[in-house]
Amino acid sequence: MSSSSSSSKGGNGGGFNFDHHLRNQWITACLQGNADASTTDPVPNYARHARKTGTTIAGVQYVGGVVLGADTRATEDTVVADKNCEKIHYLASNMYCCGAGTAADTEATTRLIASQLELHRQAVGRARVPVVAAVNMLKRHLFRYQGYVSAALVLGGVDEWHGPSLYTIYPHGSVDQLPYVSMGSGSLAAMAVFEAGWREQLSEADARQLVYEAITAGIENDLGSGSNVDLCVIKDGGRTVEYLRGYAQEQVRTYRKPDGYAFPKGTTAVLAEDFRKYVQVRKVVSDL
Amino acid sequence: MFQSRSEYDRGVNTFSPEGRLFQVEYALEAIKLGSTAVGVQTAEGVVIAVEKRIPSPLVEPRSIEKIVEVDVHAGAALSGLTADARTLIEHARREAQNHRFHYDEPMPVESIARAVCDLALRFGESGEGGDDDDGDDNDKNEGDGEDDERSGPRLSRPFGVALLIAGWDENGPALYTTDPSGTCIHWGAKAIGAGSEAAQNALQEQYRRDMRLAEAEVLALRVLRQVMEEKLNAHNVEVAAVTRTVDHARVGQFQLYSTERVKACVARLPETETATS
Amino acid sequence: MDRPLSHSSFLPPLFSSAPHPLSPPHSVPHPSAAPSVNAAERPARWSPYQDNGGTVVALAGRDYAIVAADTRFSVSFSIPTREFTKITQLTDRVVLASAGMGADRQYLHKMLHTRLAMYRHQHQRDMSLPAAAQMLSNTLYSRRFFPIYAFNVLGGIDSATGEGFVYGYDAIGSHEQLKVVCSGSGQAIVQPVLDQQFSGRQRYSVPDAERAPSLTLEQATALVRDAFASATERDIHTGDALEMWQITAAGVRQTRYELRKD
Repeated sequence: MSSSSSSSKGGNGGGFNFDHHLRNQWITACLQGNADASTTDPVPNYARHARKTGTTIAGVQYVGGVVLGADTRATEDTVVADKNCEKIHYLASNMYCCGAGTAADTEATTRLIASQLELHRQAVGRARVPVVAAVNMLKRHLFRYQGYVSAALVLGGVDEWHGPSLYTIYPHGSVDQLPYVSMGSGSLAAMAVFEAGWREQLSEADARQLVYEAITAGIENDLGSGSNVDLCVIKDGGRTVEYLRGYAQEQVRTYRKPDGYAFPKGTTAVLAEDFRKYVQVRKVVSDL
Repeated sequence: MFQSRSEYDRGVNTFSPEGRLFQVEYALEAIKLGSTAVGVQTAEGVVIAVEKRIPSPLVEPRSIEKIVEVDVHAGAALSGLTADARTLIEHARREAQNHRFHYDEPMPVESIARAVCDLALRFGESGEGGDDDDGDDNDKNEGDGEDDERSGPRLSRPFGVALLIAGWDENGPALYTTDPSGTCIHWGAKAIGAGSEAAQNALQEQYRRDMRLAEAEVLALRVLRQVMEEKLNAHNVEVAAVTRTVDHARVGQFQLYSTERVKACVARLPETETATS
Repeated sequence: MDRPLSHSSFLPPLFSSAPHPLSPPHSVPHPSAAPSVNAAERPARWSPYQDNGGTVVALAGRDYAIVAADTRFSVSFSIPTREFTKITQLTDRVVLASAGMGADRQYLHKMLHTRLAMYRHQHQRDMSLPAAAQMLSNTLYSRRFFPIYAFNVLGGIDSATGEGFVYGYDAIGSHEQLKVVCSGSGQAIVQPVLDQQFSGRQRYSVPDAERAPSLTLEQATALVRDAFASATERDIHTGDALEMWQITAAGVRQTRYELRKD
């Protein structure tokens, strides 16, 4: 009841919302038959300017835990929007989740599920939630939105039931569980490294090195990925997490003009000048 | 010799056993029937002057055109069959404009002269006539629709005309000759046409490279006066010059002299030739 | 100068979905960048064009010109090679850089070299900068209705005065003599900086004549290096290495600088 009334007002944040206007325009165009329904897109324009994380994310299981990795480039079309964004998101104390796709979707989805996981943890009264619980919540959420929530996820965690586990969850809601995985536009580069270098029974150091190399392959060879390597190691039954932000920072600016940029006075136009000496302030005391 | 000549002088593209192309040689002879033209090159510019033969007092002298403009910076004096010259000049003008179109610059004078010579030997009965694509234009004309002259019929004999081409390009003033054999030569001073032999001797004696333009005008007219049958005046000669322009320093400007200006030049001539020859 | 920027209605349907050569290459939305809802339903029409990215810059001072380009060759989100030159030397005083499609660029450069050679043989001299500029324009315009997908910047020095000039082009030959120009995938990033730093644009209070700051060759070199470093930071199709040609009366000098490779 309450949810239906709030949505009919067009959001809780106040202000205008033009979603219905755009939808109506589209429907009208379709009915009139002068516009091909498939060419007039019901998706609002602003939604298509969304920041994508053309991305390399990857993860590897090893004997005592999982290693997750991600690059740090966010793009809007062909422009780098953020050179050092975070793509390894917190889900729970024993679980982290790398996100590829639309940045807003990966962030919102992981935060939403993180809240639900915490509520679930409190409800069942345990120290940690099993990773499969998060997998189920995520896939049900994504499936419900039929792929329109564009989040491609690499989920890694450790729990006392299954030990270290690693999943990929696709935007439409399908799930894989594998010992080494990669996602995003750089997934082919990363997977090439995994296929060449992965062995069973990896040590933690070897697993870290392998993920680092996989992400680096994405950074160097995929234009959607770039900048730094972030790593996240979850081990010790889920009790220990090493979040290594900026694990490798090898791509740096190659040159900076030594004398910088000095803007001479007058660079900004003065179109009009109006000087007032001061403004008088008077206190008026009312009789009333 | 004469026997073989009679056998081999018919086909325009048949060599004689002695290795000669008689029709081309005859065409060169035709030049020697033409009116005399004289060109003198100086550091200040190039002067060209031509005798204008007026066959009858009823002829309007201005209708006989012996000097023509090829482009802003180049002109030509002709000797021989005037009608043939029109084809060559048309070609030269077209090439000069094509050059401007393609490269946004005036065509070098030597290139204009070469372009004329390229056409000089493009004759003969046979040949592909219509689709005459000589292959030397490396597709540069592609799409600009400027090559319509190539589709016209070929001349079946050599051009019976020689040109004195005067111009001023980035390398300075230049004077070139072209003849029916397609030979193109750069000269300091040159005479062509009926009186060319005597005129060339006179030029050889009197031409100096450090001449002023005014001196060159006088020299050209004096030489012409020596070889002309009629008495030289402002109406039976044509004079033009390519000189440096004030505003456009890199190339010169072609200018055909008005009758008044020719008159002024004629007035500067000495009354009689000093007995040098 | 009025440049035709959009006239897709004049083109056959073949071209209508392709990145049109008259619109700047970076404005072409990448098919994989934004998976529009209907993209999958609509079969992608075949396009004869491909945008291989990259940025080209040319600028000129009183006695020099600089022509610069990165060496990255990209196809959508991958890099087939990091060493693909976009620059070709036309004469001792004229250098050309072209962004756009790699195959068209190679074809264009080859054709220009043929024409330069023919000119050299016909006229016994090298083509001057304005002559090369006009010839390039005609070459592009000869393909008015099936354009060469290349965005050229031409730089050089005047053979008589030694003053530097550059020329900017669209794909079908519209051109303009300038002091600074850039093109390609990083154009939107680089051009405003060069306008401000090199041409003194936006400094409204300064009289027109005094606007353009006269940079030395060394200052201009530093500016171009910085511009490319910046473009590499933000444009995914620019990077790997910077090739810079400096043209002065003494001749041409080629320098190479490394850029980010991610």
